[in-house]
Amino acid sequence: MSKLSFRARALDAAKPLPIYRGKDMPDLNDCVSINRAVPQMPTGMEKEEESEHHLQRAISAQQVFREKKESMVIPVPEAESNVNYYNRLYKGEFKQPKQFIHIQPFNLDNEQPDYDMDSEDETLLNRLNRKMEIKPLQFEIMIDRLEKASSNQLVTLQEAKLLLNEDDYLIKAVYDYWVRKRKNCRGPSLIPQIKQEKRDGSTNNDPYVAFRRRTEKMQTRKNRKNDEASYEKMLKLRREFSRAITILEMIKRREKTKRELLHLTLEVVEKRYHLGDYGGEILNEVKINRSEKELYATPATLHNGNHHKVQECKTKHPHHLSLKEEASDVVRQKKKYPKKPKAEALITSQQPTPETLPVINKSDIKQYDFHSSDEDEFPQVPSPVSEPEEENDPDGPCAFRRRAGCQYYAPRLDQANHSFENSELADLDKLRYRHCLTTLTVPRRCIGFARRRIGRGGRVIMDRISTEHDPVLKQIDPEMLNGFSSSSQTIDFSSNFTRTNASNKHCENRLSLSEILSNIRSCRLQCFQPRLLNLQDSDSEECTSRKSGQTVNNKRVSAASVALLNTSKNGISGGITEEQFQTHQQQLVQMQRQQLAQLQQKQQSQHSSQQTHPKAQGSSTSDCMSKTLDSASAHFAASAVVSAPVPSRSEVAKEQNTGHNNINGVVQPSGTSKTLYSTNMALSSSPGISAVQLVRTVGHTTTNHLIPALCTSSPQTLPMNNSCLTNAVHLNNVSVVSPVNVHINTRTSAPSPTALKLATVAASMDRVPKVTPSSAISSIARENHEPERLGLNGIAETTVAMEVT
Amino acid sequence: MAEVVSPVPGAGRREPGEVGRTRGPPVADPGAALSPQGEIIEGCRLPVLRRNQDNEDEWPLAEILSVKDISGRKLFYVHYIDFNKRLDEWVTHERLDLKKIQFPKKEAKTPTKNGLPGSRPGSPEREVPASAQASGKTLPIPVQITLRFNLPKEREAIPGGEPDQPLSSSSCLQPNHRSTKRKVEVVSPATPVPSETAPASVFPQNGSARRAVAAQPGRKRKSNCLGTDEDSQDSSDGIPSAPRMTGSLVSDRSHDDIVTRMKNIECIELGRHRLKPWYFSPYPQELTTLPVLYLCEFCLKYGRSLKCLQRHLTKCDLRHPPGNEIYRKGTISFFEIDGRKNKSYSQNLCLLAKCFLDHKTLYYDTDPFLFYVMTEYDCKGFHIVGYFSKEKESTEDYNVACILTLPPYQRRGYGKLLIEFSYELSKVEGKTGTPEKPLSDLGLLSYRSYWSQTILEILMGLKSESGERPQITINEISEITSIKKEDVISTLQYLNLINYYKGQYILTLSEDIVDGHERAMLKRLLRIDSKCLHFTPKDWSKRGKW
Repeated sequence: MSKLSFRARALDAAKPLPIYRGKDMPDLNDCVSINRAVPQMPTGMEKEEESEHHLQRAISAQQVFREKKESMVIPVPEAESNVNYYNRLYKGEFKQPKQFIHIQPFNLDNEQPDYDMDSEDETLLNRLNRKMEIKPLQFEIMIDRLEKASSNQLVTLQEAKLLLNEDDYLIKAVYDYWVRKRKNCRGPSLIPQIKQEKRDGSTNNDPYVAFRRRTEKMQTRKNRKNDEASYEKMLKLRREFSRAITILEMIKRREKTKRELLHLTLEVVEKRYHLGDYGGEILNEVKINRSEKELYATPATLHNGNHHKVQECKTKHPHHLSLKEEASDVVRQKKKYPKKPKAEALITSQQPTPETLPVINKSDIKQYDFHSSDEDEFPQVPSPVSEPEEENDPDGPCAFRRRAGCQYYAPRLDQANHSFENSELADLDKLRYRHCLTTLTVPRRCIGFARRRIGRGGRVIMDRISTEHDPVLKQIDPEMLNGFSSSSQTIDFSSNFTRTNASNKHCENRLSLSEILSNIRSCRLQCFQPRLLNLQDSDSEECTSRKSGQTVNNKRVSAASVALLNTSKNGISGGITEEQFQTHQQQLVQMQRQQLAQLQQKQQSQHSSQQTHPKAQGSSTSDCMSKTLDSASAHFAASAVVSAPVPSRSEVAKEQNTGHNNINGVVQPSGTSKTLYSTNMALSSSPGISAVQLVRTVGHTTTNHLIPALCTSSPQTLPMNNSCLTNAVHLNNVSVVSPVNVHINTRTSAPSPTALKLATVAASMDRVPKVTPSSAISSIARENHEPERLGLNGIAETTVAMEVT
Repeated sequence: MAEVVSPVPGAGRREPGEVGRTRGPPVADPGAALSPQGEIIEGCRLPVLRRNQDNEDEWPLAEILSVKDISGRKLFYVHYIDFNKRLDEWVTHERLDLKKIQFPKKEAKTPTKNGLPGSRPGSPEREVPASAQASGKTLPIPVQITLRFNLPKEREAIPGGEPDQPLSSSSCLQPNHRSTKRKVEVVSPATPVPSETAPASVFPQNGSARRAVAAQPGRKRKSNCLGTDEDSQDSSDGIPSAPRMTGSLVSDRSHDDIVTRMKNIECIELGRHRLKPWYFSPYPQELTTLPVLYLCEFCLKYGRSLKCLQRHLTKCDLRHPPGNEIYRKGTISFFEIDGRKNKSYSQNLCLLAKCFLDHKTLYYDTDPFLFYVMTEYDCKGFHIVGYFSKEKESTEDYNVACILTLPPYQRRGYGKLLIEFSYELSKVEGKTGTPEKPLSDLGLLSYRSYWSQTILEILMGLKSESGERPQITINEISEITSIKKEDVISTLQYLNLINYYKGQYILTLSEDIVDGHERAMLKRLLRIDSKCLHFTPKDWSKRGKW
C-alpha cells in the first residue's frame, strides 16, 4: 500500500487476467488497492434496503464464512405446506405426457363461467332444488351473465329474463338473490376482479388498479391504423352476419310456408276424399277462382331493359359517323357546299329547349351522339341506308343484339309525348326534359326522343323515351330530319353546316321536310341529327373528302390544320372509344390511299371550301387549306362544343370561326381569330413548308376554348409530305382525338404552354394509332387513322414540328 | 432516511431526516394532538418485541404504520426499522415498549413516514452511485463492511439528506408539494383512528385513506411535482405521473403510500401451501379482508373461499401453467407464457408474485413480458415453484425482470436454478444479460451466489497450458456465462479475486475461496441441463406488438 505512488490502470475487460492459485499466490500485501482503478460496481439494490440489518448480516457472514450459516439467513415470513385437504381438493391425477406440453392458444377460452359458487349460494341452491332442479354450473352461468351484463347499474329483472334462458320462476329467484347478494357485496362485482383504470386518469395513483394499458408510448400509429382497419372489418363482418341472419330468417319462413303448403295440400286431399271428388271436378271449380286470384298476386314479370328503351350505345359509332361526315364534308366541300348547311342543320337538330344558345350546344352535342346512338339503337331494324363501314361493324362489341327467347316489350305509349303535333309540342318540353328528337345517320332513321349521356370511356349512351309518335317518327325520320336539320341549321345558325354535310340525300330531305322544320322551329323543338354524312355515299365521298383534305395539306406543303381541341368537357361529347377506331382502321387505310391518290382533287375541294370562308386567307391554297381546315375544325369544334355550355359554345364557335368556317351557325366570316389568321397566314406564307396548326381549344374555367394555335412549320416538301403526313397524322390525330377521348382531353384541356402541348402531342403520338379519330380529311392517316368523324378535328393538322402560337 | 443506519437506530437516524424535513410548513398533526393523551398513533416509534431466527427476543425499534381495532383489541402495524418490510406485522399492545415511545413531532411527522428505510421515496439511481462510491471503498473487505455499518452510514446521511435540502430551499413550491403529500399521507392513516370501532377496520381505513387522497384535487398534480422532483433526483426517464413503461420493477417510490407499504393479504392458499405474503399486492380490494385467499394452484385464479375454489376446480382442467413447455428434466419443467396472449394467467401470476416482490410494479399490463414458470411435477400436475419474467425486448440487456421462488420452495436451490435457466436462455439468444434493478436483498444474495459459483467454476476449470499460468479476460467470462460484464467485475470484486500485482491485474484464488466453492457446489445438485432446453428465441422487434 505504501508503495502506491502510482495509479493503477483501469481494468481492461479485454485484457487477459492471469490466475494465481494457492501457493502461487503472491503476497497480497504487495497487491495494490484497486479501489480507485476498478470502479466499484453497484449492488443493484435500493440503497435503503442495502443497509438492512439482515442483509448486511448475511453478507458479512458470507464474506467471513464463505458460506451461509443458518442463523445468517435473511428471515422471511413462514409458509406452511400442510394443507391436508389438498388431495380432496385437487382430485384425480395428471399423467405427465411424454412430449413437451404445447398449448394451443385458443384452447384457453373455455366457456366456463367466471363466477364460482360459494357456500351461501349453495344454501340457496339447496333450497331451490326442493322445487326444481338447478345445477351449480347452471347457477353460476346465471350469476355470471348477470354480473357481466351489469356494470354499476344492476340489470333489471326484465333484462335478466332476456339474458337468462331459464324458467321464469327460477330467474326470479336467482335474480332476487343476486340483487340482495350484490348489495351486500363489498366489491364492485360478485366476481372479484382487478380494478380497472379509468380513462380520466383519476386512478393513476390508485394502488389497487393494476395492469393498466400501455397507451402512451407503445400505442403507435401503426396500431391505430390496425384498429381502424379491424374496426371496419368488424363492421363489415357484422353487416354480413346480419345479412346472413335475414337470409336464414327468410329461409325459415319459406320452409314454414312449405310446410303449410304441405298441410294444406293434405287437407285438400282429405276434403276431396270426403267429398268424393275423385274426378277432380270440384277441385277444378275451386281452382278457377283461385287461379284468378293468383294472377293478381303474381308479381310482374321481369322486363328486359328494352322495356324502358334504355339502350347503351357506344360513342364509337357516333364518332365514326362524325368522322365520316367530316371527312365527307371536307371531301365534298366542293360539291356539297350547298348541301352542307342542311346536313349540319340536321345534325344540330331540333331541341325543344327554349334557350337558344344551349339549344344549339345541345344540338351540336347530340348530333354526334345521335349518330352513334342511332346506329346503336337500330341495329335490329334493318337500316335502309347502311354504309359498308357501318355494316361491317355497326355497333362493335356493344351492338345490341336480340337475344333468343327474350321478350321485348313495346314501348308504352301512354307516357309518350306528342312531338310533332303543334299543340302538343309545347308540352313536350316538360315531359321530355332533355329528350330531343333524335336521328341516326347510319340506319337513317329518327329514333324519336332520346337523351344523350356520356358513359365510361367516352361512350355515348342514348336514353330513349317512347312516345306515341314513335311510329310516325320512324316513318318520317330519315328524310324529314334532313330537311329539318338543314332548315333548323339555317335558322339557328348561319348556314355553315350545309356545305360540309350536304349530300344528295340531304338535299332531297330538305325539300320534303321544310314544313316540319318550321314546325319544329316554332315549337323550338330540336331535332338532333348527326351531320348527314350520307354514309351511303360515303365511300366515294369520304375518300374524296379525305383526299381533298390531304391534298389540302399537302398543297400547303404542310397542311395547316387547325384542330380545335375541345375542352375536356367538350371532348367528352364526341368521345370515341378506341375500339371503334380500330374497327374502322382498315377502311381508313383504304380511304387514306384513295386520298393520297387524289391529292390534287383535294385542292379543288379546298377551293370549294373556301367559299364557306368569307374571310378566306389571301392565297387560294392557303385559303383552301384554312377553309378545309376550318370546316373540319368547325365540325370538330361543333362536336366539341356540343357538350359545352352555351356561352362557351358561342365563344368557341367564334374562335373557331376565326380560323374557319362557322360551325355552329356562326357565320364563317364572323369569327376571325387573329391568331389563327396569323398562323394561317404564316403558314400560307411559307408554302414550301409543311406547317401544321393545331388549334387547341383548351377548356378553362372561363371559356371552353383557348385557341392556341399550334403552328408547326415543317420544312418538308410536298413529296416529303407523305412521310411527314404520317407524323402529322399522328399529331393531328392526337389533337383531334384528344377532344374526343377523355384521356386526351384532359391533356388538351390543360392550359398548356407550348411545351406542354408539344409534350402532350409527342406523348400522344405513340397512342395515336389506336386512338386517333383520324382527321380523315386533312390527315393522311395511314395505318393509324380511322376515318371517323373526329377526322374533322384532325383536319389540317399535318405537322412535323408543333408550335404554339 | 433509509441509508442513515446508525448503530443506535432511533436517534441517529432521525436527526438527519428531521433536519431535512423541518423546513416544510408544519402540517396539522393529529398525532400531536393525540400523543399527550398517550395514544399510540401512526408515526410513533418505539421498540417492539420480536423473536429472531435464533428464537431470541429482541426489541428493535419499530414504527407504527397503522392501528386497527378488532373486537376492542387494538392491533398495531409495525415496521421494524432497518428490517425488511416483509417482517412488518400486526402486533398487540403487549409487544410495544411504551416507555421508549417517540411521538412524531410536528415537524418530524414527515420524517416519521419517510423515515422508513424501505419505503421512503428513493432516489435509487442517483443514490446508488453514491452508495457505490461509498461502498466501493468499503465493501470488498469484510472489515470495511462493518465500517459501512457505522462510519459510512454517517457519511451517507449527508448525501441522503441533500436531495431534500435543495428542494426545500430552492423553491417554495416544491417543499409545499412535498409537505402536502406528506400531509396527505399522514392524515390518511390518522383518519382510520376514529373508525376504530369497525370490526374490519383496517382495510376500510385504507380505503378511506385512499379516498381521501383521491379526493384532493390537487393531489395528483402535487404528487406529480413530487414525482418530478424525484425524477430530477433519481430517474432519468422522467414520467411524472405514470411510471416508466419498461421493466417490471419500481425504483421510484413516489407512488408509495401507506396502502402499498402495508401487506394487505393475510394468507394465500396455493395448492398444498399456505403462504404469508410479504408485501402489498393489488388483489381485488374486497378480498383483502379475507383471512385466506384461495388460489387455484394451476391457473392461479383467486377465490374468496374454499367453496369457490372447489367450484372453480370443477371447471378448471389445467394441470400445468398454460404455456409451452420448453424445458424438462426430471420433475423440473419450464413453461413459457406470453404476457400478451395469456393475460389472465400472467396477471394472476403477477398478483401472486407481487406478494413477495417489494419492488415489482403491476402498474402496466403484462404484454411486453414473457413468463418462464418453473414447475415441479408430481402425480397431481405441474406445481409452480417459481418463475421469472423477461421483457421481450429489453433496451438495457435485462434478461430477467422479476424472479421469484415461492416461499415454500425457497432455500432449496430453486432460485439458483431459475437464475441459471435465465442465463441459459441468454446463451441461446447469444446475448449477455443482467437482472433488472433494483435487486432485493434476497435477489442480490442469490445472484451473487450464482455469479460467484459460475465464475469460480470457470476459473477453476482453467488448465494451465504448457506450464504457463492460465489466464482469461473478463469478456471471455462474460461470453461463456452470458453474465453481463459489469456483473462479472462486481463479482470478482465482491469475491476479492481481483488484485493489482506487478503492474497488472491478476485473479487470485485463495484456498478458502476454492474450498468454499467446492463445498457449495457439492450442495448444488439442481442444475439446468442445456440439452433439455427446447427454446427458439423470437425476434420480437420484428413484431408489431409483443
